[in-house]
Amino acid sequence: MRKRHTRLLSLALLLILFITCKLFAEQKPLDGNSIMGKTLNAYYYAQNDGKAHVFMRLVNKEGKERIRDFTMLRLDKEDGGEQYYYAYFTKPPDVNRTVFMVWKHIDRDDDRWLYLPAIDLVKRISANDKRSSYVGSDFTYEDVSGRHLNDDEHTLIKEEAINGKNAYVIKSTPKDKDEVEFNYRLVWSDKQTFLTLKVEYYNRRNELYKEMITNKIEIIEGTPTVTKATMKDLKGGHYTEIEFKKIDYNVGLKKNIFAERYLRKPPVKWIK
Amino acid sequence: MRRLIKLSVHYPKTTIWISVFITLAFLSQIPKIKIDTDPENMLSQKEWVRRYHNQVKKTFSIEDLIVVGITNPDNPYGVFNKESLNRIANATNQILDIKGVVIKDVISPTTVDDIQERGGMLSIDRLQKGMIEDPQQALIIQKRALVNPLFKDKLISHDGKDLCLYIPIEKKDQSYRISNEIKLILNDILKAEKYFISGLPVAEDTFGIEMFKQMGVSSPISAFLVLLLIYLFIRKISLSIAAMMVAFFSIIWTMGLLIGMGYTVHIMSSMIPIFLIPISVDDSVHVLSHFSEVYQKHKDKKVAIIKVIDDLWSPMLYTTLTTMAGFASLALTPIPPVQVFGLFICFGKFVAWILTMTLIPAFAVLLNEEKLHNFGREEESHTPLTRFLNRLATFSITRQKVILPIALAFILLSTYGLTRIVVNDNPVKWFSENHPIRIADRILNKTFGGTYMTYLVFEGSKEGAMKSPDVMKYIEKMQRQIESSPIVGKTSSVVDIIKKLSYEIHDENENYNVLPETQEAIAQYLFLYQNSGDPQDLFRYISYDDKKANIWIQMKKGDNQDMTGLEEKVKNFIAHNPLPEDIQVHWAGLTYLNVVWQEKMVQGMLKSLMGSFAVVFLMMIFLFRSFKWGILSMIPLSFSILLIYGTIGLIGKNYDMPVAVLSALTLGLSIDYAIHFIGRSRMFYTSDKGWRKTIYETFDEPALAISRNAIVVALAFLPLLLAPLIPYKTVGVFLAAIIALSGIATLILLPSIISIFGNSLYETKAKYLPLEEAFKIAIAFLILISLTIGKFVTPYGYLLAALVCFGLIQSVFTGFCLIKILLKKAGVKD
Repeated sequence: MRKRHTRLLSLALLLILFITCKLFAEQKPLDGNSIMGKTLNAYYYAQNDGKAHVFMRLVNKEGKERIRDFTMLRLDKEDGGEQYYYAYFTKPPDVNRTVFMVWKHIDRDDDRWLYLPAIDLVKRISANDKRSSYVGSDFTYEDVSGRHLNDDEHTLIKEEAINGKNAYVIKSTPKDKDEVEFNYRLVWSDKQTFLTLKVEYYNRRNELYKEMITNKIEIIEGTPTVTKATMKDLKGGHYTEIEFKKIDYNVGLKKNIFAERYLRKPPVKWIK
Repeated sequence: MRRLIKLSVHYPKTTIWISVFITLAFLSQIPKIKIDTDPENMLSQKEWVRRYHNQVKKTFSIEDLIVVGITNPDNPYGVFNKESLNRIANATNQILDIKGVVIKDVISPTTVDDIQERGGMLSIDRLQKGMIEDPQQALIIQKRALVNPLFKDKLISHDGKDLCLYIPIEKKDQSYRISNEIKLILNDILKAEKYFISGLPVAEDTFGIEMFKQMGVSSPISAFLVLLLIYLFIRKISLSIAAMMVAFFSIIWTMGLLIGMGYTVHIMSSMIPIFLIPISVDDSVHVLSHFSEVYQKHKDKKVAIIKVIDDLWSPMLYTTLTTMAGFASLALTPIPPVQVFGLFICFGKFVAWILTMTLIPAFAVLLNEEKLHNFGREEESHTPLTRFLNRLATFSITRQKVILPIALAFILLSTYGLTRIVVNDNPVKWFSENHPIRIADRILNKTFGGTYMTYLVFEGSKEGAMKSPDVMKYIEKMQRQIESSPIVGKTSSVVDIIKKLSYEIHDENENYNVLPETQEAIAQYLFLYQNSGDPQDLFRYISYDDKKANIWIQMKKGDNQDMTGLEEKVKNFIAHNPLPEDIQVHWAGLTYLNVVWQEKMVQGMLKSLMGSFAVVFLMMIFLFRSFKWGILSMIPLSFSILLIYGTIGLIGKNYDMPVAVLSALTLGLSIDYAIHFIGRSRMFYTSDKGWRKTIYETFDEPALAISRNAIVVALAFLPLLLAPLIPYKTVGVFLAAIIALSGIATLILLPSIISIFGNSLYETKAKYLPLEEAFKIAIAFLILISLTIGKFVTPYGYLLAALVCFGLIQSVFTGFCLIKILLKKAGVKD
C-alpha cells in the first residue's frame, strides 16, 4: 500500500515535472538576451581558465603584413563576471617582453596595464574608450575580451543556416552610442555550441563596415573553441587574422599572477 | 579640292545638307562629355613623379580632404566656448552621417584621439567627448589641443581661437554634393560662428562648374559678337550666318571628335570653342570681304565666288597650314592637356578651312540676285576705317626713321623683359581674388599652418629601417630645418608622435619630450600608440613595413617658386648633413607636382615654338619662292611674340599655362596677316606701278580685310573677361594685345621695311624650284617631321618616315608618286 503510494506519487511528480518543464520551455523560448549571454559565455568564458599562443597577422590594403605573437592567460572569477587577462608579447622582436594586463569588471571600467621593457616602465592605461584598437589590429579590446551583456539591447531577429550550421541571428544595439563605433551589429550564434560564427558591424549610416568571420572551430579538451577568426575593415581594406594554438583549459592559474609585479617579471611557468 | 568647290557651287543645297548631317553626327557625341579638373593630369600618367606621388598617397593613405575652417570673431576665446564647441560637435555628428564621408578619418575635436596623462593613467581618448556641460571644459580642450603637436596649426589655429575640420571623402567626384550638404548643415547649426570651405576636391569641382559657365556663357556671347561684326562689315545677314555656321560646325566637329575619342575636357580644352570662333571665321572674313568687291565687277555670283576662291586659294591654304602648324607644335610639350588642346585646334582649323571652301560658296550662290544689287563696297570707300588705313599707309612708308628706331627700342626692351620672365603657376590662383575659395585660402593660411601640402619621403631598403634612432633623429633635424623657412607653417612626422608619447607617459615631464635612444623604445612607443581609436592614423607618417616615413609639410604659399626654394634648402641641408646610410629622400605632393609640370612646360613650349617657327619659315620660303620675302614675312610675328613675352617679363606677370599657349596663337594669327599683306601686294606689283603705289593699293582692300579680321578676333575674345577664372581672363586680355600688335607690326613695321628696299624687293625674281629639287626638300622635310614627332610626342611618329620610304620604293616600280602629285597641285612646275 505504502509502496504503491510512493510509486504513484513519484509518477505524478515526474508527470508534473515533465509538464512544467514542457510548459516552461514553451513559455520561455530563448530570447535575444539569453542567447547573447550564452554566446558571450561560450566565447569568452570557456572553462575556468585558459592559456593559448596567439598569432595575429595584420594585413593592410597594399598586402603588407605586421605580426603580433603573444601568450595569453585568462582566469574567470565566474561565468559572465570578472575576468583577468595577461598577454605576453614575443613578436615583433622589438616589442618582445611587452606585457598587457586587463582586469575586466562588470560594474565599472576595466583596469588595463602596459609594461614597456625598453624603458622599463609600467603604465596604467585608461579604458574609458571602447573603440580602441587592440595592439593596432582590427579587433578592439572588446572584441578580444568581450563586451558586457548589458551594454547592448539584444533581439533575436531570425534563425538561419550559415556554412551548414544552424544559427541564431541577434541584433545588438548599444545603449550608449557615443561610446562605440558601431550603430548596431548582427551576431550569428551557433545553435549547438553558442559560438559566434560571424559578426557584421553597421556604422551610423547603417552601412556594413566591419565583419568578423570564424574560420575554424575545434574541440579542445571537450570544449568547442574558435581557433581561427578574421576581422575585416571593409572600408579601409585591411584585415586581421587571429589564430589560437596550444590551447589548454583549466591549467590552474591563480589570481596572484595577474598583478603589477608580474608585468616586469613574467610568470615563466605559464607563458612558456 | 577645287573640284569640291565647284561641286558645292553647283549643288549648294546638297552641300549644306551634307555638312549639317555630319555636324549632327558629331553633335551626338557631345552629351558623353567628361570634365577633368584634376591638376595631377598636367603630367602624363606615365610620368615617374606622378606615379611616385600616387604610390606615396597609397602607402600613407593620404585622402582627398574637404577643409572647413570655423571662427568666432566676436568671442575673445574664438570658438573655444561651450556653445560654439557644442554646435561644432553637433555639426560633426551630422557631417558623419553624410554618405561618402570616411567616418573613421574625420578630424574634429569630437573625433580625434588625444594622448594624455591623467591621474597617473595614460589615456588615449577623444579630445572632446560628446557635448560639454561645463564652460571651463572648453578652455581645457583648447589647452590640450594647443600642446599636442599633431593638432596645433592643423586642428587648432596657433592663436588658439579657430578650428579647422578635415573631412576626407571616399570619392573625389562626390565633393560637390558633400560640400553642399556640409554647407547646409553649418548654415543650420552655426550661429555666431563663421565658416570657410576649402580643400582641393572642392576647388576642382568648383573649377569644373566655372569651366562650363565659361563654355556656356562666354562662347555664345563671343559668337554673337562675331556675327554682329561680320554683319556690320558686309551687311548681308545670310552670308554672316554662313560665316557663323562655319565657326559653329568646326567647334561641334572638333568637340564631338574630342569627346567621342574619349578625351576629357580639361581647362585647356574648354577653351577650344572660344579659340575656334575667331580662328575659323578668319578665312570667311577674307572670302566675304573679297567677294563683295569682286561681285561688283562681274555681277555674277558663280563667276565671282570662283574668282574669289582662285585669288585667295594660295594665301588661305598657307594661312591655314601655318595656323595648324602653330597649334600642332603644342604637341611637342609634354603636358597632355596642352597637347590635346593644340592638336584638336589644329583639326578644328582644318575643318574650318574645308567648310569655308564649301559652305560659303554654297551660301553665296543661293543668294537672291535682286537683293545683291546693293551688295558691294562702293559706299565703303569712305568709311572711317578706309580713310584711316590710307593715312596709315602714308605714315608707314614715309616715317621709317621714326618707326624703325622705336621698333628696335621695343625689341631691346623686350629682350631685357624676356630675361626677367618668372615661370609660376598655382591652381588656387586660377580663381579670382575675391572668390570664396581664395578667401578661405587666405584666412586658413593666416591662422593655420598652411593649406599647401608637400611630402618629403624617407625611404630605406630594409624592413623597419625607419625605426632606427639615427633615422628618427635625422628626420627631426630635417623638420627643424624645413620649419626655418618662412613659408612653411608646420611640419609633422612620426617623430612628433613618439616625442608626444614619451612626454605624456613620463607624467608630462619636459625632459622626456625627446626621442628615445633605442630602436626597441621607439618600436614600443609606436606599439602603444596603436592602442587607440584608429591605429591607421600612425600609417600616415610611417609605412606599414616601417621602410618609409614621411614629413608632412604645410606651406602657406603654393607658388612653385616657394616650392623650388624649399627644395633647394633641403638639398643644401643634405649636402652638409649626409643622409643616414641606405636612406633616400624623395618629394611628393601636389605642390611639388606643380613645379615638375611647369618646368616641363617651359622647356616644352620653347621646343614647340622653335619647331613651329622653323616649319612656318620653310613654308613661307616655299610660298613666296623667295628667301628675302620669307624672312620679311616672319618679322611681324617675331616682333609680336618677342614683345608679348617681353611685356610679361617686365610687368611681372607669371608665365603660366595659358600664357604659354599664347605663343602658338600669336604665331598662327600674325603670320596670316603677313601672308595676306605680302601675297596680295606682290600680286598688285608691276614695274610701272612701282612699290609706292603697290603699297597704297595693298592698304585698300587687303588691309581692310586684315583690320576687319583683327577687330573681329580681338572682340571675339573679349567675352573671356566675363569668365570668373583667371586663366580665361589672362587669355582674353593678352589676345587683344597680341592682335593689336600683330596688326601694327603688319601694317606699320612691314611696309616701312619694304619701303627701305623699294622696288628691288619686288623685282626679285621668284625662284621656281624644279620639281626634282622641291621633291628632295619635301622628302627631307617629312622625315624631319617624323623624327620630331617620334622623339617628342609619340613613337608612332616614326611610322611617317617608314611610310615615306615605302612610298618612294614603290614609286620606282609603279611610277605613282603621291608627293610629286601633291607638289604639282601646290604649284611646283615640272
